[in-house]
Amino acid sequence: MMDTSNVGELRARAERLRAEVRRFYAEVMPADLREKSHRHQVLSKEDYVRWMRLLDKQGWSVAHWPEAHGGKGWSPLERFAFEDELARLGCPWVIPFGVKYVGPVIYAFGTPEQKQRFLPGIKTTEEFWAQGYSEPGAGSDLAGLRTLAERNGDHYVVNGQKVWTTYAQWADWLFCLVRTDRDDKPQSGISFLLIDMKSPGIKVVPIRTMDGYAHVNEVWLENVKVPVENLVGEEGKGWTYAKFLLKNERTAGAIVGWAWHVLDRLKQHARETIFGNQRLIDQPLMRNRIGDYALRFMALEQAAYRAVAAMCDGSENGGEASLIKIRGTELYQEVMETLVEALGPAGVAFDVEALHAAALPPLGPDDAGGILKDHFYNRAATIFGGSSEIQRNIVAKAVLGL
Amino acid sequence: MATDIETIGMLRDSAARYAEDNYGFHQRWAVLERPEGYSPDAWRDFAELGFLALRLPEEEGGLDGDAFAVGALMEIVGARLLMEPFFASTVVGTGLLLKLGSAQQRAAYLPQLADGSLVLALADDDEPGRPCVVSGDRLQGGKIGVLHGDAAGRLLVSARDAVTGQAVVVTVAANAPGLTRQVYRLVDGRGAARFGFDDVVVERLAPESGLSAADALAVARDEAMVALCAESLGVVNSLVAATTEYLKVRKQFGRPIGSNQALQHRMVDCFLLQQEVQALTEAAQQALADDSADRSRRVAGARAYIVQAARKIANEAVQMHGGVGVTDELDISHYFRRLMVNAALCGGRDAQFSRFVDAALAA
Repeated sequence: MMDTSNVGELRARAERLRAEVRRFYAEVMPADLREKSHRHQVLSKEDYVRWMRLLDKQGWSVAHWPEAHGGKGWSPLERFAFEDELARLGCPWVIPFGVKYVGPVIYAFGTPEQKQRFLPGIKTTEEFWAQGYSEPGAGSDLAGLRTLAERNGDHYVVNGQKVWTTYAQWADWLFCLVRTDRDDKPQSGISFLLIDMKSPGIKVVPIRTMDGYAHVNEVWLENVKVPVENLVGEEGKGWTYAKFLLKNERTAGAIVGWAWHVLDRLKQHARETIFGNQRLIDQPLMRNRIGDYALRFMALEQAAYRAVAAMCDGSENGGEASLIKIRGTELYQEVMETLVEALGPAGVAFDVEALHAAALPPLGPDDAGGILKDHFYNRAATIFGGSSEIQRNIVAKAVLGL
Repeated sequence: MATDIETIGMLRDSAARYAEDNYGFHQRWAVLERPEGYSPDAWRDFAELGFLALRLPEEEGGLDGDAFAVGALMEIVGARLLMEPFFASTVVGTGLLLKLGSAQQRAAYLPQLADGSLVLALADDDEPGRPCVVSGDRLQGGKIGVLHGDAAGRLLVSARDAVTGQAVVVTVAANAPGLTRQVYRLVDGRGAARFGFDDVVVERLAPESGLSAADALAVARDEAMVALCAESLGVVNSLVAATTEYLKVRKQFGRPIGSNQALQHRMVDCFLLQQEVQALTEAAQQALADDSADRSRRVAGARAYIVQAARKIANEAVQMHGGVGVTDELDISHYFRRLMVNAALCGGRDAQFSRFVDAALAA
């Protein structure tokens, strides 16, 4: 038993926050956005900007930042509760690139000028950010990146290629890991640059994925000039900042919430669907499968709560974030797979244009198209943000000492 | 009722220290040879340390221990493979007597339970085809799979009233006329028994509170399963620690076997299961302590998940230890066998999985 009065108090605050989020969803969120997200429709950049600003208006967009930088200093428990609750309600995701990723790197390591220049726009989504990390030759082995930044007077000249860059097509800024020293060992020659996407020499090429969209892109950088004042922290220390960023990414409440949401949808579908005179949920094999998912969800949920409490009282073992990521994404995928299967013929009828136009799918319930889109998209959930295999490597090394 | 955190810490520390000093794996060999299937000396020590009065109310000289307090000790029972009837007598037997005993019955048996002179076992599983039925004060029927039934001085027996068909709980001395007892050993070395009751004179438990036997049994069974979850956690903690260590020291092909990614990932999966076992055990303890409306789902789910998770970890521990994993001289196989017994108690996994599914998919 790890409960201390401090964690108890934080738990109570997290519960109050959940209630506030539910009230926000019911009373503040515009009906069209609620309807779109309920049906898992595609959201436009305008929708996302509206969504992020709505969160900002509630005081939530950067509430996880320290008070000194304009946040509320949320504990990991509150942060988790917030993301979990939003995801359970089926809200759009909180786009992390500004508020979760680059913002904390800037307030922790940036110059006073950088903080003043960038933090306000991140908080309000006045500026849209993308993450320039992966490269064709540097996926899981990120330290193998080769995009080169050469110092030339008061600026760097950047050449190289980034890939899987989410929302690069919308981004005003790219935070980018670049190599500033070719001779050093892989991790120590890396620097963290902020690159204006309007700079000459940047080309964004969309990558079409199996859901029929292009959320991700290739970003080509050819002789892109980046002023030296856009270097964050010290040259050659970029790997440290990237690791700090990953640590900030840890409280992945949304994964648990998504798994809950899709499991709830599966239960609903199985209750509403009659197949051969019997509700799907009463058919022994399907009941067994859904029951098994529900049990695994309970294990995930309890382990996640415990992990986040450990982050609050300092008793963490270092494997918490990986546990949530591995278990959450694997369960999410399996439940989604079962839901698509349970949709029968509607589970293979897909109209991308209808999804874009917020129109009804060719077959099945109103959200069938959105479910399919999410099914395709979430195949990447066990790949991005540190694949399940990389997560297991991390735990083996950092926690078990193997 | 909640046991304060200092008391739980104290219990945990004193039990851990006791086991460290007196119950090492090699010291335990001598216990395995005992005809009782446990160490009477250790049992007396438990009484002196106050463990056997754990569940008694403070005014009756106990610690009023809740599910977390019971769990703290059960975790050590599992981690060190203690053989004594703590679970059967102190957790389950005493727990049920506290719920259903009259003031007179409590006064008669609680002091002997606290000082260790009485082992009280609940006989709950009917012999197939021979259900236990009580007519007036006479018990007829059979019970099987009674853990420590060999050592028990007294039994609590769940049965049906011949007239009303309602659940009842009766108590009877284990040597009463008309009672037959067939003792045997379990795979983990502890003792058990099956019982036949042929018109045996018994005493009904009749609490002044008016609590029904059915309700009391339901809670007692849940308490038993949550205690078994904690025992599993202790076992799992020991297995994960021992196996992780073994992967570092065992060399093949000139390097530690733990340098192989195939084994690393499997060990990580065991670690993830261990974390879930821990979290689910705490959640189930909380559900009991709060008497939560969600108790059924939480307890049944925890038990169902943990039985399976612990078995998986035990299988992996044996496999990764290789040949020595199946030998008697290494603790791994003893943990494996303890988990087998644990899983077979309280009606097994599938019944709890079904109960969980019904609760989770209701509405």
